Amino acid sequence: MLAKFLISFAYFLESSKKYKRVKTFFYNLLENPRSKIKPYFDAFIISLVVITVSILIYDVDHHLAYHMVIIEDFAISVFVFEWVGRFWVSANLRLKIIKYHENLLEAGKREKLSEILKIIVNQKIAYIFSPMSIIDLLAILPTYRPLRVLRIFLIFRLFKIFRYTKSINSFFKVLKDKKLEFNFLVLLGGFAVFMSSTIMFVFEGGGKNPNIHSFLDAIYWAIITITTVGYGDITPVTLTGKIITVFLVAGGFLILVLATSIVTNALSEKMDIVREGKVLSQINKMENLIVILGYGKMGQVLADELRRGHNNFMVVDLYEENLAKAKELNYIYMKADVSKYETIKNIVFKNDVKKVVLTTDNDSVNLSILLTIKAEKKSIGVIARANSYENIRKFYIAKANYVIFPYQTVAEVAVEYIGSSVKFDAIDNILVQKSSITLDEIDIEEENRYIGQTIEETGMDDFSVTIIAILKDKDKKNLIFNPNHKTYKIELNDSIVLIGDEKNIFKIRQDMIRSTA
Amino acid sequence: MRKMVIFGYSKTGREIAKLLKEEELNLTIIDENPMLVAEANEDGFFGRYSSFKDDKIFSEVGIGKDVEVLFCVSDVDSMNLFVTLSARNMDPNIKILTKIVQKEDEKKMLLAGANRTISPYEVGAIKAYRIIQKPKVSRVLDQLSRLKSKISITEIEIPKNSSLDGVYLKDAQIVKESNLIFLGILDVELGEKFIFFSKGINHKLDGGDILIAIGNKKDIRAFEKKIWQ
Repeated sequence: MLAKFLISFAYFLESSKKYKRVKTFFYNLLENPRSKIKPYFDAFIISLVVITVSILIYDVDHHLAYHMVIIEDFAISVFVFEWVGRFWVSANLRLKIIKYHENLLEAGKREKLSEILKIIVNQKIAYIFSPMSIIDLLAILPTYRPLRVLRIFLIFRLFKIFRYTKSINSFFKVLKDKKLEFNFLVLLGGFAVFMSSTIMFVFEGGGKNPNIHSFLDAIYWAIITITTVGYGDITPVTLTGKIITVFLVAGGFLILVLATSIVTNALSEKMDIVREGKVLSQINKMENLIVILGYGKMGQVLADELRRGHNNFMVVDLYEENLAKAKELNYIYMKADVSKYETIKNIVFKNDVKKVVLTTDNDSVNLSILLTIKAEKKSIGVIARANSYENIRKFYIAKANYVIFPYQTVAEVAVEYIGSSVKFDAIDNILVQKSSITLDEIDIEEENRYIGQTIEETGMDDFSVTIIAILKDKDKKNLIFNPNHKTYKIELNDSIVLIGDEKNIFKIRQDMIRSTA
Repeated sequence: MRKMVIFGYSKTGREIAKLLKEEELNLTIIDENPMLVAEANEDGFFGRYSSFKDDKIFSEVGIGKDVEVLFCVSDVDSMNLFVTLSARNMDPNIKILTKIVQKEDEKKMLLAGANRTISPYEVGAIKAYRIIQKPKVSRVLDQLSRLKSKISITEIEIPKNSSLDGVYLKDAQIVKESNLIFLGILDVELGEKFIFFSKGINHKLDGGDILIAIGNKKDIRAFEKKIWQ
């Protein structure tokens, strides 16, 4: 009975547009790294954390004012709301239940309440015990009266800030890689502390040194000495103690130097990785990203063009000297081996990538990247540079959307020139975009007032553009060259390819969506 | 027969040679590398070995006399520059096209005497850009180049005393009625400057001006006849 109710409820939710819209909104607010509102919400939460922790500190020797309690309560309710929201959007239960039901229907079995509950529990419990959720919970729970003892855990709210800063995570990751060195260091330090404190206790304990009452005092002394802090509240009084102290100080100095060098080394070694993490999170927020793999001569010109056209793009190359220019021009760049699967996965598969352009001068690298991409995600458009004529066909077999063989293209341009230089100038001007005259395309979408009018009626001619052709239908297979201005009627989904001044083409774009009224 | 020389049987040089093969030309290929010269000969061209510093071979193949066009497209920039300079020195009227790698080198090559510079990387990159930004434009350009036999870009010189001499573009009936797309005009009076019609100026046509038009070969021929009517 309950099982049936849950299933029909899942279907009901699935059919409800409003429910989905609300859920999408909360997903965007809380989890979607690409959404525009999340950064504001994050900033809001972080400031709340800072405020509540300040209140906690103030609370120690002051009596809380009325308004502070209100702020505290407000913050808590926001945290609770945040946690519940994340809990809610963490998994799409309804889809899971529907899938379960569909499987049942196929198998011809009856639904069982226990199995449905299992799905629910599995999904949601997994979220509750994820590290991020635990941090959130620790920030909320101490407010609950009976758990007041755990007040100190309110400081865990500060950990919430970590949740929002990626760079700190990557910093810890770097240190983690040096685990072996750190273990060695801790072992060495521990050994030195244990040994010297034992000697100290044996020689000065038992009343000889008035300040050392227990072995714990000796350990405290050893740690204060080895770290070169040296408060001086416990000082050696016997000769043996003094000798041990000298060695301990020298050893402490060495350990400190070692620790510093390990951290700096790890950081400098992993700076690329830290940077990489930052770049990856940066591109993760972008839409319609264009990825240029290989930042050689061709990649550089392409990047410049893309920048001029205000596109989201990034460049990847293995060599520092190639990337120097990208660094200088402030492009988003990453130093990585493009022939590695990991690189492609992190950059291409995990992000909203519109096009990938392969511009390395090595055909086997280009081909292998192309195949990697096409094997996993066919929908990503790939433009590949071929470096030898024989390989062009191979690129097409590997399903490249476009293959550019620059040497042939440039040869065509060169041969055009010998025909007649005037013609060449004209074409060159248009193709290389040397003047404000450009070759452009205009899509006719819905609610365009040009639909149904002949070209003459639309008044496009007044903008002195030259219409070369019109591509018809959605898949643009049908091409009408030089359409008749008096008889051709513009239809929905047409694309007009024309030559004209940038400004005039812009004006046409505005003119055609202007309401007729 | 028109005489042309390609200096450098590089990837670019190869493609140029391939394209020129179909035309009736006297084509010579010169290279510094004997292997590449051998390859050129194998591919059915007339290849000659010569050091880039050696003016003798260049004048032997006709530079300074009857060679119309020289392509300096070797893979080494400094050689291209040197050959461009020596060829310009031998013949002030020869057309020289020089390959460059970086845009920054363009000025230098032009100063050395090249009429034009071409860069495979720039052309390739701009083609890639167009495919990304303007996919439909790319498709049309591809189609046009595939239809090369039918549709072509052409120059039409306006003869003196023809029906178009001294007429304003917008008043010219035959321009309006033809099936051609007129891109622009090279005006002799305005110092041989190319003007796009898309600039929106009502231009006065004169004898000697050159119109650039795209269209069916048939229509082009029909238009050329009509000018005289």
